[in-house]
Amino acid sequence: MAAVEQHDHTHGTPEIKYSTCYMCACRCGIKVTIEDNKVRFIQGNRNHPINKGVLCAKGSAGIMKQCSPARLRNPLLRKPGTERGAGEFIEISWDQALDMLTERLARIRATDPNKFAFFTGRDQMQALTRLFAEQFGTLNWSAHGGFCSVNMAAAGLYTMGYAFWEFGDPDWDRTKYFMLWGVAEDHNSNPMKIGIEKVKSRGGKFVGINPARTGYQAVADEWVPIRPGTDAMLALSMVHVLLSREIFDWEFLIRYTNAPFLVVQTPGQKGDGLMWRDEAGHPLAWDLKKEAFVNGLDALCHPALFGEYKTPDGRTVKTVMTLLTERYLDPRFAPENAAKICGVPAATIERLALEMAHVAFKETIEIPVEWTDWAGRKHDKFIGRPVSMHAMRGVSAHSNGFQAARAIHFLQILLGTIDCPGGFRAKAPYPRPVPSPGKPARHSAPDTPLDAHPLGFPTAPEDLVIDDEGRPLRIDKAYSWEAPIANHGLMHMVITNAVKGDPYPIDTLLFFMANMAWNSSMNTANIQDMLRAKGPDGEYKIPFLVVVDAFHSETVHFADLVLPDTTYLERYDAISLLDRPISEPDAVCDSIRHPLLTLDRNVRAWQEVMIEIGARLKLPVFTNADGTPKYKGYKDFITYYEREPGIGFLAGYRGADGSKALRGEPNPNQWERYIENQGFFQYHLPKSIRYLRFANKGYLEFAKEAGFLRTAEPIVIELYSEAIQRFRLAGLGLYDGPMPKERVDQERLATYFDPLPDYYEPLEQQRVDKDEYPFFAVNQRPMMMYHSWDSQNAWLRQIIAQNHLYMNRARGEKLGLKDEDWVWVESHNGKIRVQLRLIEGCQEDTVWTWNAIGKQSGTWGLKPGAPEATEGFLMNHLISELLPEKEGERRITNSDPITGQAAWYDLRVKVTRAAPGEEGVWPTFANVPPLPGAAPKPDVLRYNTRIKAS
Amino acid sequence: MNPSLAVIFLTLFSGAGFGLMAVVAIVNDFAIDGGLSPLRTAILVALSLLLVTMGMISSTAHLANPKNAWRAFTRWRTSWLAREGVFAVLFYPVAIAYLGWVFFRNTTRGDGALVLANTAAVIGLITIFCQGMIYACLRTIRQWHTPLVPANFYAMGLALGMTMLATSQVLTRGPDLVLISTACALLVAAAVMKAIYYFWIGAPSGTTLQTATGFTRGKVRLLDQGHTFGTFLTHEFSNCIPAARARNFRIAVYVLGFLAPIAILIAGAHGLLRLGVLFAPLLAFIGIGIERYLFFVQAKHVINLYHGRMPGPLPQMHPALRAGAGAADTMINKTRLVPSYEKR
Amino acid sequence: MRLGLVIDLDTCVGCHACATACKEWNTSAMTAPLTDYDPYGKEPSGVWFNRIRHYEIGEYPNNKTINFPMSCMHCENAECVTVCPTGASYKRAEDGIVLVDQDKCMGCNYCSWACPYGARELDRESGTMKKCTLCVDRIYDETLPVEERQPACVLACPAHARLFGDLDDPESTTSRAVRERGGYALMPELNYNPTNHYLPPRTRPAISTSDLPRGSLARKVKEWVNRVIER
Repeated sequence: MAAVEQHDHTHGTPEIKYSTCYMCACRCGIKVTIEDNKVRFIQGNRNHPINKGVLCAKGSAGIMKQCSPARLRNPLLRKPGTERGAGEFIEISWDQALDMLTERLARIRATDPNKFAFFTGRDQMQALTRLFAEQFGTLNWSAHGGFCSVNMAAAGLYTMGYAFWEFGDPDWDRTKYFMLWGVAEDHNSNPMKIGIEKVKSRGGKFVGINPARTGYQAVADEWVPIRPGTDAMLALSMVHVLLSREIFDWEFLIRYTNAPFLVVQTPGQKGDGLMWRDEAGHPLAWDLKKEAFVNGLDALCHPALFGEYKTPDGRTVKTVMTLLTERYLDPRFAPENAAKICGVPAATIERLALEMAHVAFKETIEIPVEWTDWAGRKHDKFIGRPVSMHAMRGVSAHSNGFQAARAIHFLQILLGTIDCPGGFRAKAPYPRPVPSPGKPARHSAPDTPLDAHPLGFPTAPEDLVIDDEGRPLRIDKAYSWEAPIANHGLMHMVITNAVKGDPYPIDTLLFFMANMAWNSSMNTANIQDMLRAKGPDGEYKIPFLVVVDAFHSETVHFADLVLPDTTYLERYDAISLLDRPISEPDAVCDSIRHPLLTLDRNVRAWQEVMIEIGARLKLPVFTNADGTPKYKGYKDFITYYEREPGIGFLAGYRGADGSKALRGEPNPNQWERYIENQGFFQYHLPKSIRYLRFANKGYLEFAKEAGFLRTAEPIVIELYSEAIQRFRLAGLGLYDGPMPKERVDQERLATYFDPLPDYYEPLEQQRVDKDEYPFFAVNQRPMMMYHSWDSQNAWLRQIIAQNHLYMNRARGEKLGLKDEDWVWVESHNGKIRVQLRLIEGCQEDTVWTWNAIGKQSGTWGLKPGAPEATEGFLMNHLISELLPEKEGERRITNSDPITGQAAWYDLRVKVTRAAPGEEGVWPTFANVPPLPGAAPKPDVLRYNTRIKAS
Repeated sequence: MNPSLAVIFLTLFSGAGFGLMAVVAIVNDFAIDGGLSPLRTAILVALSLLLVTMGMISSTAHLANPKNAWRAFTRWRTSWLAREGVFAVLFYPVAIAYLGWVFFRNTTRGDGALVLANTAAVIGLITIFCQGMIYACLRTIRQWHTPLVPANFYAMGLALGMTMLATSQVLTRGPDLVLISTACALLVAAAVMKAIYYFWIGAPSGTTLQTATGFTRGKVRLLDQGHTFGTFLTHEFSNCIPAARARNFRIAVYVLGFLAPIAILIAGAHGLLRLGVLFAPLLAFIGIGIERYLFFVQAKHVINLYHGRMPGPLPQMHPALRAGAGAADTMINKTRLVPSYEKR
Repeated sequence: MRLGLVIDLDTCVGCHACATACKEWNTSAMTAPLTDYDPYGKEPSGVWFNRIRHYEIGEYPNNKTINFPMSCMHCENAECVTVCPTGASYKRAEDGIVLVDQDKCMGCNYCSWACPYGARELDRESGTMKKCTLCVDRIYDETLPVEERQPACVLACPAHARLFGDLDDPESTTSRAVRERGGYALMPELNYNPTNHYLPPRTRPAISTSDLPRGSLARKVKEWVNRVIER
């Protein structure tokens, strides 16, 4: 008789509660109907700024997350005497768990705080985890951005002070031409679907550039199948087309960018390629009226956009625009040459560029609103150029992704579509100065908090986090010569580096909500071995591994200590402007979660636990002068903690009576006010400060008051990146300051740190034989499933529980391959056996699959034999976290040489048919035994909140 | 379609039962070959009732919620299934009354017997018609949506009935040329009807994935069916067998269902077989049972178009899923395509 | 009144939001629950009222991906109702919604055979046939705000690819969309006269670029005369 899980409950009065979804990182507002502590219905909140009432498949399936048998139920300790990764645990109490952890952390903090490495996955409370790490005093903290999309963030922040997704959005209500670069179904979800529909129903055009026609690209009016990793060339070729026809926004470039600034041209000498500045440090420009060099930041100057001049001391200087034009008018960027690299026909490249130019300049829109620019000049309208773009991981996850994203921004800037009506608009607290202020912390000392955030924005080699010998100070080697602008860290390198003891061994590694033993790591099987690796002394190379998660992930399996978290329907959360913002272009927004359901397990929200550990360790922020805990818990902390006077985690309902927005003293009833207001807060910007915010006086002053900016100085968009050039000079041996000693570092800096974006072949591809590995291999994101930890979801896994390798039909048939063939996919790093499907919507030189469907048997509450383990697969096995070895060179991370972004999509593979009888995925992994006290897995599920099941 | 044993047995046994009742009535009406003895009549009517009952009981096994089976007669105004139920139920009192009449009065003569026998026969024949119409009225399944279906059901039911009747005569009374030749004729007629049916369903349908989705300008291929494993729809509608196997099954239908019974009956007519003549109805049942299996498994519901699983004039489906259209057997047998959806 | 859905194939991104929202609402609604089989095992499966299939039209590189949601079409000639022997299946006279009375259904599957659109699924735990109710328990519920009296799938759809309304009323948004966008019903040759309609992908006129400056020289930096623009 099959075990049937019945969910029949007495019919209570349904309660309606509002909160914030967390089935992915999109953070939609949800309206939850609850009956008898069970979820009856989750729907979108119509009033919420993010999703405006709609909800995706994941959002609705939240109900099944809440009954997942994968939910952890108790703190777990690896059974004494058993091996790590054997999956034998004992249940312990929270007191035991926290005593053990506190004792260990206190010892580390008193000796060498960097021996504690704290890395967090896809959480949305980075501001708090960072604060904890800072207070602890370890440099070794970061969130997951390094393996996610730091290229996208860094490129935007180093160019125009904001970036795609969380920092900016297309102006969906006005844009007439929307270009989507690469896979975007992960970031973001509902807002982009809402937006695409708006563009299309208005008659606008949606162009999708992606090797695969799936997801949003399905509804694109034009699909441009491109070879992976060649986006920079495509964008720059379009730049070439625009420049060659003299189509660009003169006024925009002169007023808002550094295009007219003069750059010193003294090749081979120190100072080459840096801005020519006056003694006060102002960049200089040539004034056409005065016919003299003037401060380029001066409001009243009339700077020349083009020109080459001699300085009084005889140096040649050229305007940025001159350099830019010289670079991109080069025939190698001509469409017919770009076509050979991108696989996109030359005529298409030219047409797309011209279509956008037409919409930007011939279908201009105007918004008649009076506004004041940074210099105090009044204007009676905003000019809108209704072309917008979005890019995410498809562009980002290449080792040339930083420059590719910059190249896309160049296209947007030349068209004058930055933060204008119809263009690509910033979302508070962005834009920030270019580059953002704040340098990464460099000094760590026992029992002492850091003197800065662990992550920051280097602008020169002096800002690197390296010792006097040039050795990395961080375990992930972020901000070292290997990844100088690693703004989000390199979480994907932590295990490898820690096990190698390079740059040094650590003691305790804590992962929060990060599946580093599976789909979040490259080279998965080896990473699992590393987690089990022991030194000659018999000690684990990573002596203590703490995993905090709500679900039984593959990584939980390797933990020494497991701290079980709550689900998003059971806890307080602040989705803060200090963290990953949810603002909209027209409104400053933040939101909360609060417990909608009572707990039925012995689990605690990690933020509560962190605050308790902080107090136990007597970290200053969490402790009163008398050593007692300063906060009663997370809720109390969020209410009363102030980063600076009046600025806390939540921006709404501040002030003693809740009447103040953005800045104000703590309000004891702030949470209640949020709950009354359906879980979110929005401050609508006055119309006059909604556009051109980088140079909009009203906005800049507002942003300063709100704590978004330190000063109300205008933000100058940097086409030419002087910061990048400083690193290049260090590589060339022409820098007055730290310079790398190893040849490989010198070469990487000299080659890839180009102050103007350029296309270069992804690093791994430079080292593999393209004839032997003829296919590019990438991942796409199934929108009904991503983020991956929801694969255990009883409803979503009915939709997709197995992934295939997709290949272009004609290409596959030419190779003699058929649908459903089992094939070997082999890279320089390894091979996997997977099942093939031939489709039309795949670029000829590309194979792809859905990300993170494959699971290790026994995890995530799935029964042994679940197809996620027997037929689903990860491409991760093929990807090495290190570049292929090169003689005479140390092993180097397989990441963007500028930002350290994991280069997931640089992979090249060959595909061959498996021998007859070779079926099923390979490699497979041992089944993970169930955890003690694990919930039963029903054979039949009849979820129902009504009294009577039919 | 899912070849559910319950429905195969229902149509096979009840069809044979009703057919038997009809031929008993006809033979007695016209006193063909002298008519049947009262005892033989009673036994054959009892056999008919037994077969009908087997069919009816078996049909309830097909119901997921049999406690509501009693409601199945309520919609007789529109539903052929309800009508079948109504007539099948009406059959019982009349057939039982006839059985009683013959058994207790020990005669098949008389107005009462005549009325009861022919009423039972007519009700049986109407029930066969209703049974046929259950399938023939469905526009969703081209292989069924034809008058050939009730015609086939008639031919097969009567042939089975006559084969049983003739066999009973041969067994106990020795060769009986009239009845044997009638049985052979009915078997031949059934075989011809079936051949016409097979010919007819071989023609391509005009409905394709293109017309079903409305995208008639280009090739339409299934990219993903939206669920990794089976659903009720794939379980109920996606069954099919490879063409080669279907061919073999058809040969079996003809050999076992028609040729062998005819040969056995002819041999029986020459007194060559004694008890062996029992193989005639036995093989006929097996052969026509296989025919009924094919009737279901080769019926293609239009929903299969949307799953990319139906052959049509244009290549529109996932080749690996193109079951029944020459795909490799190994693919067809994969659990993925015909999921084990049955109650465990 | 003929209540039904209009599906916009131009904007449906195939995210399965409608299907999941439907599952969620209806697993506790009038035909609750929608049973799931083997939810954590080898072959997860279950009862859904709305399924999305994905097709490719044409050949590379001129191919288009179409996402194709299908649920009950609430046909005018609902053969599923005609063939039902028990009277469990019925079509409401007042609004055309086709429903199954769970208390009457005997689970014979016959209605599902008669349905060309795969709209009916047997719940083998309850032994009854279940199908889209057009959220009849939402759309008339006066305790809900007016704007939420819509089927769950329509409320959820992030791409607003689902419209709900009276197809009998020529001025309803649904009827207008069908009229203006060339909406069509599926398999009209079967003569079921489905209420639900599909809007085909829009075709867009080419964007003219002839009004842009003609480029000629590849290297013209030096020829460009600077424009005097105040910063």
